[in-house]
Amino acid sequence: MSFLLVMKAEIVRTLIIMRRYWLRTIMGMIMGYGMLIVLILGFMLSQEELTNTMNDRFGDPEAATNFVLGFIIGMFAFGIVGMFTQGLQGMAVSGVLEQLCLSPHGLVTNFLARSTVAAITTCFSSSLMVWMVTMTVGGTLFFNGPALAMLLILTFINLLGFGFMMGGLILVFKQVGQVAILIRMGLFALAIFAKEELLEQGWAMATLVHALPIADAAILLKHVLIKNQRLVDGNYVPVYQHPSLFFLLLSCAVWTTLGITCFKMMENWSRAKGTLGTY
Amino acid sequence: MTESSGTLIELSRLNKTFTLRNFFYKDEETGKRQFYRKRLVKAVQNINFTIDRGEIFGLLGPNGAGKTTTVKMLSGLVKPDEGMVSVDGLDVERHRQKVLRKVGVVLEGTRTSIWPLTPMENLAYYGNLKNVKGSVLSERSNRLLDFIGLQDKKHVEVRHLSRGQKQKLAICIALIGDPQVLLLDEPTTGLDVQSARAIKDKIIEMTREYGKSVLVTTHDMHVAQELCDRIGIIDKGQLVACKPTQELLGNFSDQVYVFQLDREPDIAALEQVPGVLTVTTELTSEGPTAVINLEPEPAARSRALYAVMEALSKGNYELRSIAQRQQNLESVFLQLTTSTM
Ligand SMILES: Nc1ncnc2c1ncn2[C@@H]1O[C@H](COP(=O)(O)OP(=O)(O)O)[C@@H](O)[C@H]1O
Ligand SMILES: [Mg+2]
Repeated sequence: MSFLLVMKAEIVRTLIIMRRYWLRTIMGMIMGYGMLIVLILGFMLSQEELTNTMNDRFGDPEAATNFVLGFIIGMFAFGIVGMFTQGLQGMAVSGVLEQLCLSPHGLVTNFLARSTVAAITTCFSSSLMVWMVTMTVGGTLFFNGPALAMLLILTFINLLGFGFMMGGLILVFKQVGQVAILIRMGLFALAIFAKEELLEQGWAMATLVHALPIADAAILLKHVLIKNQRLVDGNYVPVYQHPSLFFLLLSCAVWTTLGITCFKMMENWSRAKGTLGTY
Repeated sequence: MTESSGTLIELSRLNKTFTLRNFFYKDEETGKRQFYRKRLVKAVQNINFTIDRGEIFGLLGPNGAGKTTTVKMLSGLVKPDEGMVSVDGLDVERHRQKVLRKVGVVLEGTRTSIWPLTPMENLAYYGNLKNVKGSVLSERSNRLLDFIGLQDKKHVEVRHLSRGQKQKLAICIALIGDPQVLLLDEPTTGLDVQSARAIKDKIIEMTREYGKSVLVTTHDMHVAQELCDRIGIIDKGQLVACKPTQELLGNFSDQVYVFQLDREPDIAALEQVPGVLTVTTELTSEGPTAVINLEPEPAARSRALYAVMEALSKGNYELRSIAQRQQNLESVFLQLTTSTM
């Protein structure tokens, strides 16, 4: 109930701001698009010379789409976690954070609803971007509605846990905010470079990939969107049977529990230290 | 609405100590450097007071006295170390969500609203959070903006509004959920005279017409004196006085007289006069004065006044003028806060 109230308020706010600052919204999308196209063109031009020297990182034929998709998943992760880091910090500065604490729903609900709305809008703009880029570059993506929807929701939940963890830390230690940008960049890189092959390089690497947020999600999204649910050897493995799905579910459960618990603890601590509204 | 009078807010034995930690600390006075310094700040010490329904209560104190901390503990933004805060019988720590439905809070008015939105949109946003919707929401938003005098700005983005207008909007936002209590932290600080006046008038109107209880904190005695039914004076985290405004003033007023003379008065002689409590002398631009504190009881005071005049006449002083010192909260405040230094 609380969640829906905050959702409603957030949706209205987001729509108003998008409409009022439509120029900025569109410019943002065009910039993103332009940046991607430049990256891809550069990548494709260098491709021919590179194929000889580069190893398998860019060796496979879908490398370009892989890169683009990774980039966009990275943007998604960057944005969602950003809500909890730079976003939270900005709210502390503008005083809105205190107002949310004063609303009768609690911070956790507020942030859940806020990030859900942000995720939905990001999904729309990302899909548009993916579509435009694939139209321009001519790559092929495979859209499997149900699988994609499930993966997007899981990806979001996966990021939420991590976001809450970071947000909690920032509530108490405002300085963490400076480091957070690096961590977000890390997630970004992870989304680009995470691929199935990594899981076959020994248990240490595999464990690391499973433990990190977004890695499993990125692998699965690429599995569906690029490889049309086929493994490297060409065998068809539906996403529901992909081993990474289990780890993604586990990762969601662990990170979300951990994140929200941490956030609540930190919120209490922050109230005791009196730093909720300070910046 | 269960009752129209009685206690609405209660703070009892409230304590809060903050820990300040500095790394690479340098003492400004001695220039001594420390790698790490930990200091305890007793922001609020053992504070008790109550606020009744329909009352304007003022928390008056200098900067750093602990006013904001008190307001934040009342609204659950800061967790008390010890003691209890209750609103309408509900413990703030245990029933924070329920309490927040009953109170509206304005901390720093300019930092309350969302700047890219207009006042109407801000009210809709915060109204949605408080489950005020549809026709009630739009009707109430319009009524509040009308009441506070922002009707003509209702479609202007907040970032274009002045400080005073933002403060007014913050009050509307706090009122959108129709709370029983309004907590205002320094509502007139930083505003020009007209805006401050308007806000003070609105606060009074709100309690008189709509029966809201209000807690106002301020470091400005005039604001407290004009606005509040009761005043608590807070200094260094301690409540040094808590009385109805008239009583607080009455305690000190009507008894101090200033006699403008041609030379320094003989203090010892004047202190012998029956009915005289204390005598001091002050040098003003018009010459020396005798500042005499008399018995407050009217008949005794009258006798004492005659006796003082007689004594002055006997002493061959030239009496240039007599004035009753206007007591205001400022002198009360200074007396109370300096005595605890
Ligand atoms: N979060 C905090 N951490 C450390 N000290 C604080 C904190 N908040 C307030 N203080 C200190 O507590 C004292 C009271 O502050 P405050 O309640 O803001 O005073 P006022 O509002 O009356 O000016 C001040 O000395 C202030 O420096
Ligand atoms: Mg203050």
